Amino acid sequence: MENYHSPSDRLIRKLQWVWVAGFIVLVLGIITWFIHLMRAALWLGDVPSAAIGIPLVAIPIFLALAGVVFYVFWGLAIRGRDR
Amino acid sequence: MALWGMVIDLDRCTGCQACVMACKAENNVPAVGKKEATKGRTISWMQVLTETDEEHHEEKVRFIPRPCLQCDDPPCTKVCPVYATYRNPEGIVAQIYARCIGCRFCMAACPYNVKYFNWYTYQKEQPGQNPDVSVREKGVVEKCTFCHHRLQKARERAHAENREIQPGEYNTACADACPAQAIIFGDLADPGSEVSKLARSPRAFKLQEELGTKPKVIYLTEGEGGG
Amino acid sequence: MVDHKDDYEDILLAPIAHTGPGFYWAVAGLSVFILWGAIAYAVQLYEGLGVTGLQQPVSWGFYVTNFVFFIGISHAGTLISAILRLSRAEWRRPITRMAEVITAMVLFIGAGQILVDMGRPDRIFNVIRHGRYQSPLLWDATSISAYLTASLTYLYLPMIPDIAILRDRLGKWKLFYSVLALGWTGTEQQQRVLNRAIAIMCVIVIPVAVSVHTVVSFVFSMTLQPMWHSTIFGPYFVVGAIFSGIAALIVAMILFRKAYRLEPYLKPIHFRYLGQLLLIMSLLWFYFTFAEYLTGYYGAEPEEMKIFWSKFSGPFWPFFWAMVLCNLFIPLACLVRLGRRTVGKVLAASLSIIVGMWLERFIIVVPTLSIPRLPFPQTIYVPTWVELGEFAGSLALFALFYLLFTKVFPIISIWEIREGRVEGVKEVEERVKSYLPDEVKGAA
Repeated sequence: MENYHSPSDRLIRKLQWVWVAGFIVLVLGIITWFIHLMRAALWLGDVPSAAIGIPLVAIPIFLALAGVVFYVFWGLAIRGRDR
Repeated sequence: MALWGMVIDLDRCTGCQACVMACKAENNVPAVGKKEATKGRTISWMQVLTETDEEHHEEKVRFIPRPCLQCDDPPCTKVCPVYATYRNPEGIVAQIYARCIGCRFCMAACPYNVKYFNWYTYQKEQPGQNPDVSVREKGVVEKCTFCHHRLQKARERAHAENREIQPGEYNTACADACPAQAIIFGDLADPGSEVSKLARSPRAFKLQEELGTKPKVIYLTEGEGGG
Repeated sequence: MVDHKDDYEDILLAPIAHTGPGFYWAVAGLSVFILWGAIAYAVQLYEGLGVTGLQQPVSWGFYVTNFVFFIGISHAGTLISAILRLSRAEWRRPITRMAEVITAMVLFIGAGQILVDMGRPDRIFNVIRHGRYQSPLLWDATSISAYLTASLTYLYLPMIPDIAILRDRLGKWKLFYSVLALGWTGTEQQQRVLNRAIAIMCVIVIPVAVSVHTVVSFVFSMTLQPMWHSTIFGPYFVVGAIFSGIAALIVAMILFRKAYRLEPYLKPIHFRYLGQLLLIMSLLWFYFTFAEYLTGYYGAEPEEMKIFWSKFSGPFWPFFWAMVLCNLFIPLACLVRLGRRTVGKVLAASLSIIVGMWLERFIIVVPTLSIPRLPFPQTIYVPTWVELGEFAGSLALFALFYLLFTKVFPIISIWEIREGRVEGVKEVEERVKSYLPDEVKGAA
């Protein structure tokens, strides 16, 4: 078994956290964008039905994607190494 | 609240295109040059369309001056992704050059082809232009605005003099210029205005009314009409 | 977990381990076209869209056609990969990676076409700051960003065990592969996590993919223009997308099969099955096209008939009939009997379909705009070198992205092939037995 505290392993661990965190941040950014558009449309009174309906479908999809990626990251990199 | 509209009497129109020239001068509409014009890129906010009779070719021609019809249910505003074109509460379909991203979706959606695109920067700001109207760069869509800048000036003058705007104070350049007085402009919400009265004439019809766009430019057909 | 090496696996790792002169020639060739495209776009950016052939009333032409075309091809990956995975079709194993890479790469190119088409690309952030959900273009932006994220995820997750193989066996880029491999060691628990994640992604990705081309079709069908304002556009575009996607996938498969000597993995049987799928999609595409045009013709609405005749016998007749030839007759001729020379026939059909589907997009976009309702002056739309260069550059850029990908990651899924040999065979045997009547105990 590898020594999990060797420097290159710690670097790898850090970089993995960085890029998964980056993905989550991207997804959260996109969701923030949808919410911004929704709020702008409601404030302007500009077709509220579409402004609410479309983000209502799109946001759960992005949350699911972020969830799947994080689930895999957790299951493989964090829990998986403890075997 | 006013509802600005226009009536164009096809029996009076002689096809002289004074309205086109007045509009071009008033709104800094660029002359695109001969090469661009042959490619089909003329910009003409007010355009006189010629319709030949299907049965009697070259005998009967109809001249249809066509500004933006300022629809009450505009298909163009529905599809703009950035709110660069929208219908304001007084019924004018506005066009914001600073917001437009040049996707030309509104051009594809308009059933009357009233929208024009700046394929190049056709003119820069220079002396001799109307200072009340912005000069458009390349990459944005433009169209007739019922000389909205004139409305703003009239409103400001009325406000400064502490009164309401009077009918006749705000008139479009094409209506002013027409030598046959074929173009009447005014407030459709005022039942006493000339526009409202003419709009109720039995000769009145709207272009492609069946599309449901509710245009506010109403045409009066030639002859007696009524059927 | 299956750990033993497959006999041919070195073939799959070879493109990553070694780089021959062929690669450099390919990159050089593609770079010429990319340069042409880049110069064309630079000229357009400086001068304005006037350097194209667009005018009034045809204000949408090559670029919008390319947009629909490229987004259409992106349906290769998901639908093939996800549907075959969900339906447990074993023959998918060497194909899924190639399909998923097409989707991921071509979506960038497709979205890029819209950027190229904009009059003011410097104002792209207006779409983000001031977007309106009433506009089909915003539906496009939402849908395509969802699809891009989903397909990149769906590409990456099944790659993790392969990245672990590269991390352990390749020798170079160890840090890069180690980070991406997420500590994969092949334990049962890890395998379970991965399988569950991939299964969830399969289910997410299919409706997202269907929504993408549906909203692309809504850009046209939500207007009032004749022959655009049709309720069939959503499914029609999706069917066309799957159709052109499978064709593009087949061409990519055949090219890389030759270049990387993947014949042991990509056998005639795979092309046979894909060819049969292609034939079905060809007939399905024809069914939708026939329904669309028959409805227009029978209704005989005057504005629609003007466009109809312009396509049938008017100025656009060469494009229309070439489209029918390329999308129906040539594929029928090639794909009906796939006994011998499977690969050649399927390649011919696929190339024909790619051309035919581009023509189909063109035939949808341009004729409707060419013939306005009002007596507006008309000219003929002729694309210029700028538009042709942009198209060539886009295709070359897509090919370059794909090629670079194959140099970093294995183009065929190594672990899934291994899995197929052991677990796949076992699972199929059990499945077939479960379809048949149960065996009576004690019977011979």
